[in-house]
Amino acid sequence: MSKGNELVTGEIRLQRVEECLWEIPRQGGMRVPGRIYASEKLLAGLKEDNSLRQVMNVAHLPGIVGYSLAMPDIHWGYGFPIGGVAAVELNDGVISPGGVGYDINCGVRLVKSHLTYSAIQQKMPKLVETLFSFIPSGVGAQGAIPKLSKGEEKRLLRGGARWAVEQGYGRQENLDYMEEGGRLENADAELVSDRALERGLKQVGTLGSGNHFLEIGRVDEIYLSDVAQALGLFPDQLVVLIHTGSRGLGYQTCEDFLKVMNQAMAKYGIQLPDRQLACTPIGSREGQDYLAAMASAANYAWANRQVIMSLAEKAFWKALNISPAELGFSLIYDVCHNIAKMEEHVVDGKRRRLCVHRKGATRAFPPGHPQLPKAYQELGQPVLVPGDMGRYSYLLVGTEAAMEKSFGSTCHGAGRVMSRAQSKRESRGIDIDQEMARRGVVARYQGRATMAEEMPHAYKDVADVVETMDQAGISKKVARFRPVGVIKG
Amino acid sequence: MTDRPDGYRQIEHTADLGVEIEAADLPGLFSFGAEALFGLIADPGGIEEKGEITVTATGEGWEELFHAWLRELLAQFNLKGFVGRRCEVDEVVPGCAEGRIKGETLDLKRHRFYTEIKGVTYHGFRVWQENGRWRARVIFDV
Repeated sequence: MSKGNELVTGEIRLQRVEECLWEIPRQGGMRVPGRIYASEKLLAGLKEDNSLRQVMNVAHLPGIVGYSLAMPDIHWGYGFPIGGVAAVELNDGVISPGGVGYDINCGVRLVKSHLTYSAIQQKMPKLVETLFSFIPSGVGAQGAIPKLSKGEEKRLLRGGARWAVEQGYGRQENLDYMEEGGRLENADAELVSDRALERGLKQVGTLGSGNHFLEIGRVDEIYLSDVAQALGLFPDQLVVLIHTGSRGLGYQTCEDFLKVMNQAMAKYGIQLPDRQLACTPIGSREGQDYLAAMASAANYAWANRQVIMSLAEKAFWKALNISPAELGFSLIYDVCHNIAKMEEHVVDGKRRRLCVHRKGATRAFPPGHPQLPKAYQELGQPVLVPGDMGRYSYLLVGTEAAMEKSFGSTCHGAGRVMSRAQSKRESRGIDIDQEMARRGVVARYQGRATMAEEMPHAYKDVADVVETMDQAGISKKVARFRPVGVIKG
Repeated sequence: MTDRPDGYRQIEHTADLGVEIEAADLPGLFSFGAEALFGLIADPGGIEEKGEITVTATGEGWEELFHAWLRELLAQFNLKGFVGRRCEVDEVVPGCAEGRIKGETLDLKRHRFYTEIKGVTYHGFRVWQENGRWRARVIFDV
């Protein structure tokens, strides 16, 4: 129920701060207020889930500063809401594996090409089929590259995307266009469990199941022409979005440390409203071990996306019978949206080093930030926001306002609006292939059940999500892509 | 609640999958927990009881023990591709649970696969006794 500057949803009262920014005042054990970026329309969709309560729960984390934040793609997760951001002090703050998620460094990369959709439209079925045969997708997907030895896998965990380039997957210059250069330096492969290592041996270069996919998009709208031009984008151009993460190795690492932290919390006198928020002080042995294991899993994810990009390039060459120069595959950027990073931010007028948890949220650094590649210093960080495989995906850029308001963070996707069971019910009687074709998308997928759960109707309109961020000034729209081909598990 | 049959039912969750399990006793709860987990992964109707694995879990308190049990079962799928159809729980005592799962290796050509489960979350996780019956609530990350 909305009354001007106040909105009540369930038992939670929100106060409007800006047109698309709402605050849950500090109450009970909350150490900071909650803040949610959302239009009234998006907020109305949250009344039946627990995501706002989860924003309040995250505000209980020891050492949290500023606000417990949620982006407009917020939806009910476990522990943290999906779309949650929490920055904590390094000295007395905590690290929470649940604030990163099971799929450590789940992320997206955007690759541009020299091709136009008009030129290859007739060959889309062949192209999608070839991509599907080159890139293992779905449950238990494996075998994209020869099975690793554990020694080689540990080298991968230390090297990240660099390891993949050294193995011949992609090019050295790709490394400049990834967060952290595709490698977190504090990785320690010895802290990754045997079970996690075992699960990772055969899954490099695979998409996996769930909401992961590879999407071929066509540039259909440009909003900031100077930025788009600087990034080499033009109307009708074909681009590729790759959305996946650290596969079984990451899931297992999260599970291993949730157990460790649940057992250790009492020792540190930490009590929280949800056990999935399990955490320990950043400086504790458990905290440091998790960060080193998380970094290893993050590196696995970067290597995974790097290998997939290389496999996709080969699939394009083969399906279209063109040369590398004709294809012109070139990485625009690679972002993580499930991660915890050490970053500098200004809080209460003071520059502080913080640990920023992003669980279903994307870093959005502004022009001039030292962590951006030289080529993007004047543009700001590219932010990649995949949609629902049926409507559109977006490219945005980070702004100074993101640093001031959201610890340099923005949205990460459309955000679910429908449970998987409900989506399946809605999909009954629908011919999925026909429905995707009606939307102009050639789709190839392994499991009908997964596809039925992931149909576009299960998601918010990603346009509403990015518009909210654009209006709030946190990230600016650069270009929109229409999906024309999709492969998924 | 006492008039409800033993077993499990799926509950709504926006992003993930949840189940509520109910049984007359702890071995029943653990058994239905196993069948719920595998039933979310693949259609149990198509799974044949070709093989049997033994699973042991340890944990302090019934909640931690049940969580560990589900994690161990999930590991059987993740590491070996094993999907169960039927579970026989041999023992549930403080600190330890042991049981045998009958099933086979997932074969995407023969089996109807539903969902890959990434993890057994602690979000809203509960094991409790009500009117003499055992109940549990679990959210799986998918």
